[in-house]
Order: sequence, then C-alpha cells, then structure tokens
Amino acid sequence: MSALLDNFWVLLALKLAVVAIFIPTFSLVLIFAELKLSAHMQNRIGPYFAGGRWGWAQPLADGLKFMQKEDLVPADADRPVFKIAPMIVLMGTLAVFVIVPFAPKLVVRDLDLGVFYALAAGSIGTVGVLMAGWSSANKYSLMGGLRAAAQLIAYELPLVLAVVGVVIAAGTMSMGGIVAAQVEPWFHIGSFGVRLPFILQGQVVGFAIFMIASLAELSRTPFDMPIAESELVMGYLTEYSGIRFTMFFLAEYAGMFSMSAIAATLFLGGWYVPGLPADSAAMYLLGPMVLIGKVLVLVFAMIWMRWTFPRLREDQLQSLAWRWLIPLALANILVTATLKVVF
Amino acid sequence: MIDRHLLAMHQSEVSVSVELETPDVTLNLGPQHPSTHGVLRLIAKVDGEVINEVEPVIGYMHRGYEKLAEVRTYPQITALVNRIDWVSGFANEIPFIVAVERLMGIEAPQRAQMIRLVLTEMARISSHLLFLCSYPLELGAATPLMYALRERERVLDLIEGVTGGRFHPNFNRIGGVKPAAGAGSTQKKVVQDLPEGFLEQTRDAMKNVLSECDDMVDLVLGNEIFIERTRGVGLIPADRALEYGVSGPNLRASGVRFDVRKTDSYLPYGGFDFEIPTGVNGDCFDRYTVRLEEIRQAARIVNQAVDAMPSGELQAKVPRIVKVPKGATYVRAENPKGEMGYYVVSEGGRGPYRLKVRSASFSNLSILPWLLKGQLVPDIIAILGSLDFVLGDVDR
Amino acid sequence: MTASPSETAERFSAMVGAESASSDFGTAKIRVPAQRWVEVHETLKPHLPFFSWLSAIDWASEVAVGEPPEAPVDDHYEVLSRLSDVTSGTGLIISTEVGKAEPRLATLTGVFGGANWHEREAAEMFGIVFEGHPHLVKLYLPDEFQGHPLRKTFPLLSREVKPWPGTVDVEDMPSSMNTEAGDEGESTE
Repeated sequence: MSALLDNFWVLLALKLAVVAIFIPTFSLVLIFAELKLSAHMQNRIGPYFAGGRWGWAQPLADGLKFMQKEDLVPADADRPVFKIAPMIVLMGTLAVFVIVPFAPKLVVRDLDLGVFYALAAGSIGTVGVLMAGWSSANKYSLMGGLRAAAQLIAYELPLVLAVVGVVIAAGTMSMGGIVAAQVEPWFHIGSFGVRLPFILQGQVVGFAIFMIASLAELSRTPFDMPIAESELVMGYLTEYSGIRFTMFFLAEYAGMFSMSAIAATLFLGGWYVPGLPADSAAMYLLGPMVLIGKVLVLVFAMIWMRWTFPRLREDQLQSLAWRWLIPLALANILVTATLKVVF
Repeated sequence: MIDRHLLAMHQSEVSVSVELETPDVTLNLGPQHPSTHGVLRLIAKVDGEVINEVEPVIGYMHRGYEKLAEVRTYPQITALVNRIDWVSGFANEIPFIVAVERLMGIEAPQRAQMIRLVLTEMARISSHLLFLCSYPLELGAATPLMYALRERERVLDLIEGVTGGRFHPNFNRIGGVKPAAGAGSTQKKVVQDLPEGFLEQTRDAMKNVLSECDDMVDLVLGNEIFIERTRGVGLIPADRALEYGVSGPNLRASGVRFDVRKTDSYLPYGGFDFEIPTGVNGDCFDRYTVRLEEIRQAARIVNQAVDAMPSGELQAKVPRIVKVPKGATYVRAENPKGEMGYYVVSEGGRGPYRLKVRSASFSNLSILPWLLKGQLVPDIIAILGSLDFVLGDVDR
Repeated sequence: MTASPSETAERFSAMVGAESASSDFGTAKIRVPAQRWVEVHETLKPHLPFFSWLSAIDWASEVAVGEPPEAPVDDHYEVLSRLSDVTSGTGLIISTEVGKAEPRLATLTGVFGGANWHEREAAEMFGIVFEGHPHLVKLYLPDEFQGHPLRKTFPLLSREVKPWPGTVDVEDMPSSMNTEAGDEGESTE
C-alpha cells in the first residue's frame, strides 16, 4: 500500500481526484450559505422545505433539477464552441486548487511558481466566457460576452499587481513558501517572536485591491454587468440551460472558494494561526480547518457585498480599475519594495 | 440566480437587428423586458453606447377607457377607473367622483371625505414604496425590495380591511364612500363603518413605514454606487418639464414647488400640516429622494387625519338613479404618479357624453424622446425606472 | 391665493380676445376661433406654462354608442386644451371648433413640446389632422387599424355582437337611507 502511495503518478492521481470531488461538493455548501445568508439579510428565511427544517438539501435539489433538463443548443449556435465553453470556465477554476496548501505537506503540488500558476489558471475562464458569448448566436449574448471580457481583462491587472506586493515581501512565488514566510516571526520583542500575516505586515492595500479585483473576476455584484444587466437579460449566459448552466454556476462558487483560498493564503496566513504547532502531525487536521475557516469569512464578506450594493455601470467599472486600482497597486509595490530593501 | 435563469428562458425573444455597414445600430428594447414597467417598446438608434434617437412604442395596454365610458353609467365607471393606474388603485377614483359630485352639486359628508383622504394617502405610500424597492432592484441591489414590500403589505392590508380590495377598491360612491360590507339577498342590508381597530392599526403601520424610510436612507441613499449611477443622470430642467406636462414627483424633483393638494380643494387637505419636498437638479437621484420624502409626509398626513377623524354619515343623499345634469367640468388630483384629471362632459344622461382621462404617466413618458437623446445605453434603465410610470396609466 | 374660476376666465378671455368665456362648475373655459389657435397659446404660455392635455369631443346628433346630446347640436369637433400655472394652480381650458368635413387644425408642438403625443392621440382617435406636426402617426392603435375609435359613429363592436344587459337591474333600496345609490350592474367590462 505504501509502495503504491510512493508512486508519484498514483499519488498525483489521488490528489487530483480528491480536489475534483471535494471542490464541487464544497461549492454546494457555499451555494447553500449564499441562499441562507442572503435570506436572513433580507429578513426572509430562505430554503425551508428541502431536506427538513433547514432546507439543507436545496442545492442538491437544484442540482438534480438542472441535470434532468433538456439539453438545448440554439439552432444557429456554433456547436463545439458552445459545448466546450462551460467546461473551460470550470476547468480554469478547478485548476487553481492544485497549489493551495491546506497544511504544511497537504498540497497537490507545491510549484515554485505557485502564485504565477494560480493567476494564469484563473484567467483561463476569460476565454471560456468569450466563447460562450460568441457561440450563442444571440446579439445580446455577444454584447454581454464582450463586456465580460473587457471587465475580466481590466481587473486582471490589479489582481496580479496586488499579489506582487506579497511576493516581494515573502521573497518567493511558491505558495508553501509564502505561508512559511508568514510562519516565521516578523520581528522580535525581546525573545518573543511576533508572527503576523501579510495583511498586518503592511499589505492592507494589497488585500483590499485583491478582494475588489477578485469580485470583478467572478462577475459578482457590484461588478455583475455582464450577466445581470437588465438590458442584456443574462448576457453570455442567456442561452445556457441544464448541465451546462450548472457548470457555470458551480464555476462561480468554486471561483469564490479559490479566490478566497488564495487571498487567505497570501494575506491572512493560510493554514497557520500563531500558537499552532507548525510541524506536528496534528496540523494535517487543524491546518485545513483553519484555512477553510478563513475562506468562509471571506466568502461571507463577498456574499454580504453582493446583497448590499447595486451594480456599477460599465464605464464606471473600467475607470475604477484603470484610474484607481492599478495606480494604487503600483504604489503599493513601490512602497513594499522600498521597505523590503531598506529593512 | 435561479429566478433570473427562469426569466431568461422566457425573455429570449428579444430581437435586435444589427446593420454592420452603418455605425448606427437599431436596438429594440421590449415589449417584454425585465425592467420596463410593463409592455413598453423602445426603438433606439444607437451609435456605440450613445443614443441618437429613441421612439417609444406604446399602446400595448390600450383598453379604450374613454370609449367604454360612453356606454356606462357613472357608478359603473367608478369600478373601471381604479384600473388605470393599478398600483395606486384608490387614488384614481377620487377625481372622477369629485367631478361627478361637482356636476350634481352634492358635497360628500366630512367623514367620508376624511376616509377618502386617508385611503388616498395610503395609496400614495403604497405606490411610492413599490417605486423605492423596484428602482434599486433594476440597478442591481436586491435587498431594499424585501424591506419595502413588507411595509407595503401592512398598508395594503389596511386598505383591504376597509374596502375589501387591495388594488381595486371600488370604494367611492357618488356622494361619499361605500358603507363597508353589504349583505346578500336574504339578509337585510347592514351598514358598517370603518372596521374596528382601524385607527390604531393605521397609527402602528405609519410608525413602521416611517422607520422603514429611515432604513432606506441608510441602505440606498448612502450607497456610493447608487449615487454614482443616479447623480447627474437624466436631468430634466424645469421649463422642459412644464412644457411637456411632467407632473408629480418628477416635476418637484426639478425644483418646481407645486402640489395640487395645496392648490385645489378636491379633498380637505387644507386643514393639514405637510410639506412639499422638492429636488434641486432634476436627476434620478432627486426623483428618488423626493418620493422617499413624500412617503414621510403622507404618513404625517395620515397620522393627523386619523387623530382628527370626524364622526358622521358616510354618504350624502343621492337619488336612486343617478342622472347628472348637463355640464362639463375638469377635476384634477395629485396622484402618486402625478397630476391625474378627468374632464367629464355630461348631457343629462346616466353616463357621460365624453370622459377625457388625463393620466400622469402619459405626459411623464412623452418627455422620453427628448430626454434619452444623447444618453448612454446603460442609463436607459436608470432613467426609465426613475420616471415611475405604469403602462396602464400611459395607455389607458 | 388661487383666483376663482370666473376671475380666471374673465382675465384670460380679455387677454386674448376670446369669443366666449365660462366658468361653470368650477372650470374656467374660453372659446377661440380655430385660425387663432396657435397665437392664443403663444400669448398664454408665459402666464400658464404647464401644458396639461389636449383632446377633442365629437358633437354629433346621431350616435352609434351611448346617448345623444340633450339638445340637437351642429355636428362638429370641439378641440380642447388645458394650461395651468404652477404657482397658484390657476387653470384654463381653451376650446375651439373644427368642422367635420375637413377636420384640420394647426399644431401646437412649436409652442408646447408636450402637445406632440396628445395631438397624435387626438388624430388617431378622431381623425383630426394637425398641420405641421412632425410625426403624425398612430400612437396607441396598431398600424393596420382602420377607423377613428372615439368618433360617435364608430360602434363598440362587442356591443353589436351581443347586446348589453348591464343597465337593466336596479337593486331595491331598503328603508334606511345610507346605502348604495345607483345601479348594481356589472362592474367590469
């Protein structure tokens, strides 16, 4: 058995299988969280009947409902592109989880270029969105797809630049290395080492920019012009139904999870909380719990923002990215680099 | 997410024709559309994101009120007219009934007039609450909808308790209001007044409505993004508004301090203390704030009216078969949507010879071709929503 | 604060030199000849800037729907417009007479932009042609609709097909006074 586990390929396949099963399941939990949280924020109860008093089976029921729907492809649509688009979006989101460290040794593959890989994989979804908009043979979908592409590309830059600040502070691009840099004490008071996550090590601005940009990357309110704009009905999602729609839907929530996981690892300290024994075997259990706890806090913030704000207009969205976030992120890099060199 | 998906499945019959040769694109909005307030079709010639020309196509809800009125008696018309602006049902009956009473020379008793006033103000609160919650929804904020509709339910329940109908009360009679509840053919007719506990419940409901308005101020008006979307958008200067007949909160948002309740005496508003909120610029933001403030003033009036409710009869003495003497009169009222009036021409029959309905939303909407020229396409939704029209009012 | 209707009627009638003025039932109304229609409105605009509505009445001795007028009238269209001001709420109805053989009248869109839609509605409902109107096409009715619905000669087709029993029943009044007056006919169309 252990010989089997030592085999690189078997181990890899096992890890990927865990990711592929665990992430969509956890997305269902996030979907349920959104339904209940939004309901309580609006003074309603939310799902109530499916699966007993809590309505916990509501996402399952919705999933089953979507699966049994008719598989519709518009007559004029570009069939191969139409069918592949949701898969590409979902794949891009799931691929990010390869480098998220759940515990000191619990990561699918701790690449040296972890951060770089995460950002690159995350932006594959943009191609999928464009494909969806184009192949739907619907002028409104096309307009929605183009607007979505513009928005996603515009907000890639602040996302990347915000992360660069952390990379400079940590000195490495590997996710495991970044967490390790936060485990190490930042400075000592006497013999007591003060350990702080990067958000408290001066990356507050970076964190804020990252959260805003990730909301825009996920096309969530207040940046949901591409899908929920009243003129474009559902934008690039208009012609999708059934399982294909489920894939987009899951990709959104998996994306929330992945963006929050990256933010938690980069800015909030990942699986580490000061006081935990960083090297012991208990971390295999505690580490994921800590990380998921932080992820849930960030996801709560995202849900909260969705149900409080109206949506920004397209030009306001773009000006926010280009005129505010990018200069701020550049300034953040400058300050971080200066401090790193000086101290 | 799920509701919108269902909506999308039904809405994909929106069609667009794109001429790729010329820079002008013809964009067709509606008639079925999530955010036009009913069946309104807008044919817009668009250059990039800027609108060059807009032609609204209306008439999908034209029911022919003015023709129908010529073959009906006055009490029958009362039942019809509250369907013109269906959101504020009770308020539509008032100017018509007052016009008929003026032609007959009858004055309704004090109690009846006060009840009419209370119900009209409640209709105003109900209509404005619906606007307060549907407008942020069109801009993307879904939460105010839930809060405002809950308060609206209280008001609608009160109206239902008195009149029996939430939206179409059919409560006015010539000479007063309907004595609540009749009886069947086997029982003697029982004359009932306002239901028990109505006055206390009204006071409670008004308290809730006022606290809801405060919530809205925090939730919506303080919201940066809402301000960004609505400030400076859809400016209507005051002289244009007057020329086109824009009335009601839209006119007041442009800075014109005018309210029919203060100048015409169709209901006893003279004894009450209330203010007329006005805006400064005439943009979408001002229209929202004016309506929010009007809810507060309406609640204030209702509180005063409930405290000052006189006792007395509910209906003046009217002949059994109503024949209105020859004459013509125009009576207008401050409806939630604007100025609504009826020009009743009577030739001594049991029904009018001609009934002209002046509806507020028709004139409010007529400014749209002028207003939308030069605006951006995403702002169409913001502007349309802020005018707060109802297609039944536009098309009659 | 608000002038009485009779004062309003007198004042504006003198200002424009109207044919007649009346203030029955609280409504101030003046009558002007059709040739001076636009000129009168231009004169009144500075005093009464709010354009409320414009419509018409079909005065006919023989009608296909409803009841004819009490006394016989010369057949004509009466075009009405209402203006008011926004400081004291003074309102005035201006009316003019248009013949039925050639129903034409000058447009008011040059004076009041809001007259645009109102005139379109009057044109399609009565068949009055407003000369100089920029876009006199149907407003409410479908393009293929034939006829002018609000003319008294235009029948209500559903009534032709099936006679209306609505005005027949009158419920008996019990001995007490304060009960519903009038008919208890069908209350929907």
